[in-house]
Amino acid sequence: MAATIQRAPERTRPRIGSHLFLMLLLAAFLFPVAWALLSSFKPADDIVRSPLTFDLSAFTLDNYTAMFQDVPIGQGFVNTAVVLLFKGAATMFLAPLAAFAFAKYQWIGKNLVFGAVLVTLMLPTIVLIIPLLLEMKELGWVNTYQALILPGAVDAFAIFWMRQVISAVPDELLDAARVDGCGEFAIFWRVVVPVIRPGLAGLGVLTVMNIYNDFVWPVVAASSERMATLQVVLSTLAQNITGNRIGADYATVTGELLAASSVALVPLLVLFILLQRHFINGILAGSVKG
Amino acid sequence: MTALAAPPATRRAPRAGRGPRMRRRLAPYVFVLPFVAVFAAFSVYPLFFTARLSFTDWRGTGAATWVGWDNYTYLLTNPAFWSSLGNSAVLWLLIVPVQMVLGVLVAVLLDNAKLRLRGLYRVAFIVPFVTPLVAVAQIWVVLFDQRYGAVNAFLGLFGLPETGWLTTSAWAKPTLALLFLWKTTGFIVIILLSGLQSINASIYEAADLDGASKGRQLWSITVPLLRRTIGFAVVLQTLAVFQMFAEPFVVTQGGPYNSTTTAGYYLYNHITRADLGTGAANSFLLVVLVMALSLLFVRLLRAKD
Repeated sequence: MAATIQRAPERTRPRIGSHLFLMLLLAAFLFPVAWALLSSFKPADDIVRSPLTFDLSAFTLDNYTAMFQDVPIGQGFVNTAVVLLFKGAATMFLAPLAAFAFAKYQWIGKNLVFGAVLVTLMLPTIVLIIPLLLEMKELGWVNTYQALILPGAVDAFAIFWMRQVISAVPDELLDAARVDGCGEFAIFWRVVVPVIRPGLAGLGVLTVMNIYNDFVWPVVAASSERMATLQVVLSTLAQNITGNRIGADYATVTGELLAASSVALVPLLVLFILLQRHFINGILAGSVKG
Repeated sequence: MTALAAPPATRRAPRAGRGPRMRRRLAPYVFVLPFVAVFAAFSVYPLFFTARLSFTDWRGTGAATWVGWDNYTYLLTNPAFWSSLGNSAVLWLLIVPVQMVLGVLVAVLLDNAKLRLRGLYRVAFIVPFVTPLVAVAQIWVVLFDQRYGAVNAFLGLFGLPETGWLTTSAWAKPTLALLFLWKTTGFIVIILLSGLQSINASIYEAADLDGASKGRQLWSITVPLLRRTIGFAVVLQTLAVFQMFAEPFVVTQGGPYNSTTTAGYYLYNHITRADLGTGAANSFLLVVLVMALSLLFVRLLRAKD
């Protein structure tokens, strides 16, 4: 209470109650992931028999070896990597380029096309799923990389965000480059891109996260074993488990399932821990669509 | 064309026009071309296609029959359609109010620069948002298993009976709601934190001098000033909840007894049944609903200003 009287510029130090509340939440937020990671190294039978105990001496990689044998997770990683590479590159290059046109040029139809960007932003993904799937069928693209990569390859949100970022680049900088004889694309590549690098980093992280975690479109458009992305591979694993609820079998499947989930979790967790600031910037900007 | 016909004396002018200045005028069209192409091919075309499809009966092969408004009336008079919306509405009630209260509390605590371990909390709360939903949904299936799950094992320590979290219609929705809350609350905290940063700290100093309690300040200063940000978060989450698909797909397959057949999952059922006309109509009904809800929230927020 004394603290409320002093004219401190900052607010008072939080009390025990706040810490307790935050600690409890922290535990709840980390528990599922931590539990899954730890449990995946337990013998399968133990995961089922005593889900709450962890015995270091019983450490085993059995779930992982079994999982890598039973589940085409390697193929899933390869497919996700291919999509990440091409779709990610397309978004990272073409979206800022389009954004540059919106931010720094006057041209006929600009407002109309920008309206299209906004509509794409607001349109729920699900509206387009059925007709897009039919379009893929017509093109013969079902279960191909094109189907996974091309729709949404120039992300509308990325344009929207990068337009704001590029608007902040001073016009004088661009004009100076023009005076020096720079072509328009060279201005983009040599002047704009280096200046907006922090924004691009946030966009990159957000793009990787979105593509890596994408599920609805991949499961509809490319669910064959050969083309399944990592998330699609994981999702069929879960159906095995719910269909397989009998004794020892359940334990084996559970062990493999936790191993597979852990393998899928770790790359993003590592990336997140390494690039926290960019992640938070990306997520934050990603939310401000409206 | 005129440049070509121009007399040699003015040669330099048209060259300049065709050169940098012309290029400057043409450049933006070239720059947006890839977006426009992708947008036309994979957004505009499918959108018109859905519109037409929604008035036909089509099973994916053969010719489509024009059925007028039949798909719409079929859906609007179908209890299964309404119950999918009902399920989503219940999930919304279980998720959004809880998430906003929790989000504001956590954001206010984390906004305090004197908080110890602030960085750790911030990072930890976002971990769920970063993790792949499908992987987490899997973990949920294991954790909440009635016989072998860690949750029932933990509750058993306190003598509580085994609960069929995913196998009874009473608990399946709350369990899915918990997954959604776990996954996205950190995201909402980040949004609210960014909103809090725009509130001037001197307001709180004045309130302190007036002797207002912390709880009172939260309710009378923070919440009203955060109203726009909260409203924005509510709209975002409303869109997400009504489109929820991966969670029921992986965890419950819409069951038990369709209790977790959300609006998004019901839509997917039309695809698996190859009932594409009805599916298209369902998409449009859902979009209209989602847009109407978003507009309603935006209107409500404006009205209070």
